[in-house]
Amino acid sequence: MRNPLTVLKRLVSDSGDARTDGGTASSGTSLLSRDSIRSAPFWLPPFLLVGLFVYGAILWNVVLSLTDFQGLGDPNYGDLDFENYVVAFDGGTPSWTDYSIDPIWNATQNTVVLMVAFAIVCLALGLLLAILVDQQIRFENTFRTIYLLPMSLSFVVTAKFWLYMYDYNTGLVNIALGAFGFGPIEIVQNPDLKLAAVAFALIWQYSGYAMVVYLAGLRAIPSSHFEAARVDGASTIRMYWRVIIPQLRTATVSALVVLVVFSLKAFDFLFSMYGGYNPGPSADILATQMVREAYGNQNWAYGSSIAVVLFLMALAVVAPYIYSQYRQGQL
Amino acid sequence: MAELTLDSITKVFTEDDGNEIVAVDDVDFEIADGEFLVLVGPSGCGKSTTLRMVAGLETITEGEIRLGGRRINDKPPAERNIAMVFQSYALYPHMTVKQNMSFGLEESTDMSDDEIDEIVTDTAEMMGIANLLDRKPDDLSGGQQQRVALGRAIVRDPEAFLMDEPLSNLDAKLRATMRTELQRLQEDLGVTTVYVTHDQTEAMTMGDRIAVLDDGILQQVGTPLECYHTPNNYFVAGFIGEPSMNFFELDVEGDALVGEHFEYPISDQLRGAVSGSDSVTLGIRPEDVEFRADAMPTEPTDFACTVDVVEPTGDANNVYLTFDDDNSDEPRTFIVTVSGMDRVESGDKVVARFPESAIHLFDEFSGEALKNRSLEDVESVDISI
Amino acid sequence: MIVFYLIPIETGLMTAITDPSAYTGSAPYLPPAPGDVSLGPFTNAVDALSQGLANSFILVVPATILSGLLGSMAAYGLTTVDWKGQIGIYMLFVAGIFIPYQAVLVPLTQFWYNVVPLRTTVESVAPMIPLLQEFHWKLIALIVTHTAYGIPICTLLFRAHYKKLSDEMVEAARLDGASITRIYRRIILPLSVPMFAVVFIYQFTQIWNDLLFALTIIQFGDASVVTQDLVSIGVSQEGTNFPLRMAAALVAALPTLLVYIFFGDKFAKGVTA
Repeated sequence: MRNPLTVLKRLVSDSGDARTDGGTASSGTSLLSRDSIRSAPFWLPPFLLVGLFVYGAILWNVVLSLTDFQGLGDPNYGDLDFENYVVAFDGGTPSWTDYSIDPIWNATQNTVVLMVAFAIVCLALGLLLAILVDQQIRFENTFRTIYLLPMSLSFVVTAKFWLYMYDYNTGLVNIALGAFGFGPIEIVQNPDLKLAAVAFALIWQYSGYAMVVYLAGLRAIPSSHFEAARVDGASTIRMYWRVIIPQLRTATVSALVVLVVFSLKAFDFLFSMYGGYNPGPSADILATQMVREAYGNQNWAYGSSIAVVLFLMALAVVAPYIYSQYRQGQL
Repeated sequence: MAELTLDSITKVFTEDDGNEIVAVDDVDFEIADGEFLVLVGPSGCGKSTTLRMVAGLETITEGEIRLGGRRINDKPPAERNIAMVFQSYALYPHMTVKQNMSFGLEESTDMSDDEIDEIVTDTAEMMGIANLLDRKPDDLSGGQQQRVALGRAIVRDPEAFLMDEPLSNLDAKLRATMRTELQRLQEDLGVTTVYVTHDQTEAMTMGDRIAVLDDGILQQVGTPLECYHTPNNYFVAGFIGEPSMNFFELDVEGDALVGEHFEYPISDQLRGAVSGSDSVTLGIRPEDVEFRADAMPTEPTDFACTVDVVEPTGDANNVYLTFDDDNSDEPRTFIVTVSGMDRVESGDKVVARFPESAIHLFDEFSGEALKNRSLEDVESVDISI
Repeated sequence: MIVFYLIPIETGLMTAITDPSAYTGSAPYLPPAPGDVSLGPFTNAVDALSQGLANSFILVVPATILSGLLGSMAAYGLTTVDWKGQIGIYMLFVAGIFIPYQAVLVPLTQFWYNVVPLRTTVESVAPMIPLLQEFHWKLIALIVTHTAYGIPICTLLFRAHYKKLSDEMVEAARLDGASITRIYRRIILPLSVPMFAVVFIYQFTQIWNDLLFALTIIQFGDASVVTQDLVSIGVSQEGTNFPLRMAAALVAALPTLLVYIFFGDKFAKGVTA
């Protein structure tokens, strides 16, 4: 393991693809005090905004999660402890309320299941579509436009569409099931199907994105690879499995990261689908639990501690990605 | 118009891990007012870094650069009164030719729009690009872009032009044309010019003087013919000239220079040159080897050889020879240039003479020239040493 | 597969042009019978959402422009002008793209409601400035928030673009006497126009579609944006009015749909960058 300090030092001293090392300071003035300062009017205002609203807010949130901030009024920063995290892991009745508080395990489990199912199915479906579209090049632009169309919609809008699609009486899903002699079945409020229904709608919205990323990846593979595999006598399936798919690793990673980021915003979808903060235990994810605790139940500090957990989960996915991008010099 | 002086210029880059790399090491030279100096060397030798220090695009670690007697180390690029032509031309793609050429005057002078317009139009006419003024760079051919880049430098009316491989993106034919054109232009304008290239042909044909740089160290500054005929050292001898000079490593043993492939007698004239060395490198230019077919060696400097390969170039033949007496494991070939009219074929038995007046000797270790070719037999060559 | 991606939208559209009183829901994906066609759901939806639509536009246009402009400036300061340490600063920008909004919600609510006196300021100057309403303070807060959270992705997109610009061209401009600011104004900004189109389209879509920030910063009231209003539309005691609800969903989606349909290639470029 590399010493974190050395890594940090490298980060700070790396000047990238030395466009120019500056020019003309009188000797003795360090580089840092020139081009960094002269370019500061450009990067400093956005940096301060991001620093204050993103990083400042994250730190503030961590501090808030250690308080007992609840209900109306102001947080008391004088009394910090980890009680909220104990409650988050074990449940029970914390000191700042008379009510029992739910731990995060159920929501965490749902979050992981939703994220993994969503990401895997999106990638698989996207890859399949990309291979299909790649073969019939004629209408490529039309195909791409249609597949990406759902992505331009708000989660709030797609939730409304799918609420309708899943409707017990008039929903297309039940009409289709009826055609096969099944149903009708309750989907949206059915505890066994809720999470699957949410995942399915999200996949509808974002698998087109995975398709577009994979299509670009396929296009980057020289056609000689396809031809060489053909000459070697590989069948189409074996050719994709052995030769083409292994080359799509970069596309997979970048699509995966974006899908995870979008799945973090699934709150909007659930809020719209269930008309409020509470989708019920079988579809509750950390994102909804956090907002419900903070804004529904006014348990601000507890909501903050759930947010910290969610943040750490996102960090665990994204940090290795950013670090590897940095190592490959792609930042 | 001004003379440009580089006084002990050094450039040290510090790498991420703290390693220091000396890109340019204590380089000194002066360029007279109106002179055309070519800075030549292999890639990575520090020539571009040197030029960029003059331009103000890199800081100067040590030393001083003076233009017209004024120190310019601390001046930002814009205040140095220089103009630079880049390898990629670096035209502004969103501006028309006219806007490209006006940009520098707008940014660095208080001239009125009318004045700028006049200068730009005049220069465009001189460069033969007046009909292109309203076009964008993307619509121009490589040669036209090159002219615009030159025109953009000329309108600034600078004290010095800096050119960083400006012709290397052109095809061979256009490059030859532009070479002549650029020289004529520089003579007409009389602006002090530093021209960086890795191409020794460009250096030989264009420069009033050339400065040869290798590994950050200045090897020689002189006229093209000085560098060609009286190289300071092994590197310059090998770098200047195409095909390259032939080199042979020889040990000083008694009355002869002994090598793996052949022996060369040490005459009284040579004695002094080699007296301080144990081993030397003998160099001889391909055109200086005297070459006779169907003859026997008559002098100690004659060597019986066999033709290995012949490369005809039309006006000349590059003939690759091996020594008949070469008993080493890997017989050594060397190049001789003969007239294109001579008939030589692979396998021919010939005699090659290395005239003592034409050979160069370099110290094996320092590479310094111990003896250069004598210029007495070089007729009608104007060399001002 | 095409059917799978289009049918929810198609069904929504067909239902939205059906007269609610004639709506049966037996075959919602087919066009309604000619006598049952009605634009009533759409006019009702537009009426119900008009305040939200107006608020959304007040929010989205400045937030999109500001985040794009600041992102371009940050990318220029961190790419074209080269200095040590910029990679470290840049990494902080990139990491900002991946922050789950939940991690900052409570502090943001605290900040806008209890720390900055934005509300009292706007409320005291609102009567003096035409068109400025007292509730606009919430929209201003949301504009600043969305701008701050949009800067990272905009910086990333612009930086990828600026890295492709020729170093020698920027150096030529420096030699031509242009200052860092002038180089930005006269060289970089004009060459960024295609990227601005991509960035604006992406940001417009993202901010227009957002619900979470609106929910926690605007919360409720006159300043509600269209996504907030859409959540509760079409539900009443008598059951769900699907034609109205679908019409409302389409009205709320219309601006992003139009942007997508007309600039689809640029949208694709933005999301796949």
